[in-house]
Amino acid sequence: MPHIPLVAIVDDDESIREALCDLLMVAGLACRTFDGAPAFLADRAARGVDCLITDVRMPGMSGLELLERVRADGSNLPVIVLTSVLDQGARARALELGAQAWLTKPVADDALLDQLKAAIGSEHWPVEPGP
Amino acid sequence: MTAAASDEPAPSAPTEPLYVASRASEPDIADFASESVIIFDVEGAIQYWNPASEALYGWPAITMIGRGIAHLTTRSENEREHWRLLLQEGTWQGVVSRRMPSGIHVVVDIRQYVRFAQDGTPRDVIEYGRQSPGDNSIDSAGWHIPDRLMAAGWEVDVSGAEGLIAEIAQLRQDADADEKLLHARHVELVEAARIVNVNERTMRLVGGNRGRDLMIGQPVAGFWPLESRMVAGQLFADAMLGKVDGAAYRRQMPSDGILRDPLVTVWRAEKPGRLYVAVNGTVDDDRSYIYLRASEARYRKLVHHMPVALWQVDASHMGRIYNDVRATGVTDFDAYLDEHPELVDLAATTVQVTDVNRAAVQMLGGSGPLDLMRPVGYLFTIARDSLRNVMIGRFKGQESHHEVTKIETFDGRVRDVRMSVTYPKQVAELDVTIFSFEDVTEHMSIEAELRQLQADFTHAARISTLGELTTSIAHEVNQPLAAIVTNAETSLRWLSRADLNIQKLRELTTRIAASGRRASDIVQRIRGMAAKRQPERVAIDLNDVAQESLLFVRHEIESRSIRITTDFARDLPRAVGDRIQLQQVIVNLLVNGVQAVEERGEGERQLFLRTGDESGQLILTLRDTGSGIPPDDVERIFQGFFTTKENGMGIGLAICQSIVAEHGGSISACNHPDGGAEFRFAIPIGPA
Repeated sequence: MPHIPLVAIVDDDESIREALCDLLMVAGLACRTFDGAPAFLADRAARGVDCLITDVRMPGMSGLELLERVRADGSNLPVIVLTSVLDQGARARALELGAQAWLTKPVADDALLDQLKAAIGSEHWPVEPGP
Repeated sequence: MTAAASDEPAPSAPTEPLYVASRASEPDIADFASESVIIFDVEGAIQYWNPASEALYGWPAITMIGRGIAHLTTRSENEREHWRLLLQEGTWQGVVSRRMPSGIHVVVDIRQYVRFAQDGTPRDVIEYGRQSPGDNSIDSAGWHIPDRLMAAGWEVDVSGAEGLIAEIAQLRQDADADEKLLHARHVELVEAARIVNVNERTMRLVGGNRGRDLMIGQPVAGFWPLESRMVAGQLFADAMLGKVDGAAYRRQMPSDGILRDPLVTVWRAEKPGRLYVAVNGTVDDDRSYIYLRASEARYRKLVHHMPVALWQVDASHMGRIYNDVRATGVTDFDAYLDEHPELVDLAATTVQVTDVNRAAVQMLGGSGPLDLMRPVGYLFTIARDSLRNVMIGRFKGQESHHEVTKIETFDGRVRDVRMSVTYPKQVAELDVTIFSFEDVTEHMSIEAELRQLQADFTHAARISTLGELTTSIAHEVNQPLAAIVTNAETSLRWLSRADLNIQKLRELTTRIAASGRRASDIVQRIRGMAAKRQPERVAIDLNDVAQESLLFVRHEIESRSIRITTDFARDLPRAVGDRIQLQQVIVNLLVNGVQAVEERGEGERQLFLRTGDESGQLILTLRDTGSGIPPDDVERIFQGFFTTKENGMGIGLAICQSIVAEHGGSISACNHPDGGAEFRFAIPIGPA
């Protein structure tokens, strides 16, 4: 059975979580959603994900802090930041911490999927069920 | 003169004036007059005696100054009485005989005039004299005839009272007639009699401030003293019923407060239905005619020059109508007028303006007082209800009535005016109502401008607050848009697949719609805040307003990892206010709180919002865990342009204060014992 890549989505907005999750599913990926950074960090199973998509401005802990915490744990997990924040300083900091990409909302589906493909590796990329 | 003499005290000025009295300016002129001019003080002592007086009487001024004139006259015993009358009447003229130093008497025509001080008291008496022509008769040309000698004359029309006169004649013949009834009919005759003309004296005695023109056509009763109306009626009837043409009917009347023991004479005029009436008598002691006239003149002058526009109105007949209406048991005159709108029309067309002052003429732009001496209707062309209010005020027996209303000027401009109506104290024979109108148009427009300015300012402050929240707002609007885009693109992906999942597509489309609505709600909320609008007053629930306010700053608070604790009191009573403005206050306080917490940067990051009610007021408090307000600033924090922020305008809290004040409430700030600042505002609980 081929490995289905698992993507974690961290966003405080439920409608965003649901929308992203459905997009990933139609692309043949599996996903898990978290309503905040603490929830992600608290979930042991989350460590097995292949990629993390996170928002920046969130209550409790920001996306940047989450990235810092992940890197502090020594993880090289690919992280895609998906936000409406236009702060260049924050973007530079994220890329410095090895973020895969900094995308702004609303994002084009192809742009997001391309970045996911780059993060996961085309060898693991599922063959999209075609028409 | 030697040098030594100059060291001596200067000789004192002569204490006795020569013939020039100390009040020298007029006598200087009179020095050159060919007529004798003498000035007496009120006691009768001579103050001034001109050269012509010396020539006429032969006595030099030096012998006359300071003395009375009695020693020159042959009728010194009458002099005191004459003097008293003179001071009372103000003027006297006649022929006197005065003794010359030679012992020969000279017959002199003199005119004496009392001059009055500002306060109406006699100041002095000035006398002009010239040798009488041989025949001793009064040369009337150019000589003023004293008022006292003249009768107060009236011409009266009783042609409209034929029936009444016939009834009186009937009653007089009937031995069993009710005397009271006859008396009443006599009084009615005076009420029915109309004034055709009056002379100067009548006008001054009873005309009050009204001119002759305004007496003409009016009932005689309106001017005839109440005490003698019945007797006047008898005389009118006597004259009308008398058999002999030209016969005069005369009666001594009781003193009526105007004239002492007046003698009234009535006779038929040539014209049918007309009577002449002459009233003789000296002005009553109790009411010094001259003083009255002086004070009346002063009063008239004062009223005339008053900057407030004044109308004098005769509404006596309306007063009688109100009495009749009241007698039928009507108490709710408002309702009565609803049923009888014609009564308001009657007042508008029959209540006569009897006098106006200069300011009144100016206010309406008339060419003179007569333009305004019409029935009062023209004052109420715009606001007819104000006339109605005036009528209701009188019906209720109020002393006065005040309201702000509108008046139309003769050139069609509409002015805002504050109207004050003073009703007659009691039903007197002269029923005078005074209207005053003060033009407050400028005042009102300034008020309106200030209100507009404040509204603009408040609006500007709201925009500024929204500006501070731009990032949060952008994020908030962007969220649903991002969800919509992604859901739509996912749908397209499903649509391009062979295994069409209708269930999934329905789900995605539903979510798109929901997110669209959410975005629209946010835009709506911001538009409400951003819109320029006039404040409104509606019943509001403070908890709702606070929760809506939190929506604006929720993201701001959460994204900065600040915790907000809310404690909303249950079942809060309603207040009356402007929802958006109160939101503005709360949002402002919340933004301030967030900034205070952010600035401190360490320790607890919390806001506490609480609502409640105490002693008739709704209370909202917001506490932060910032570093508090420096003690020196606590007093100034609500002042305009006070700010501690680098880019702040310092209008946020000032606007909050003015909004809360406009809601009849108060706002205050203090430092909480556990740290941080606490803001608290209270607005009165209003009718739901």
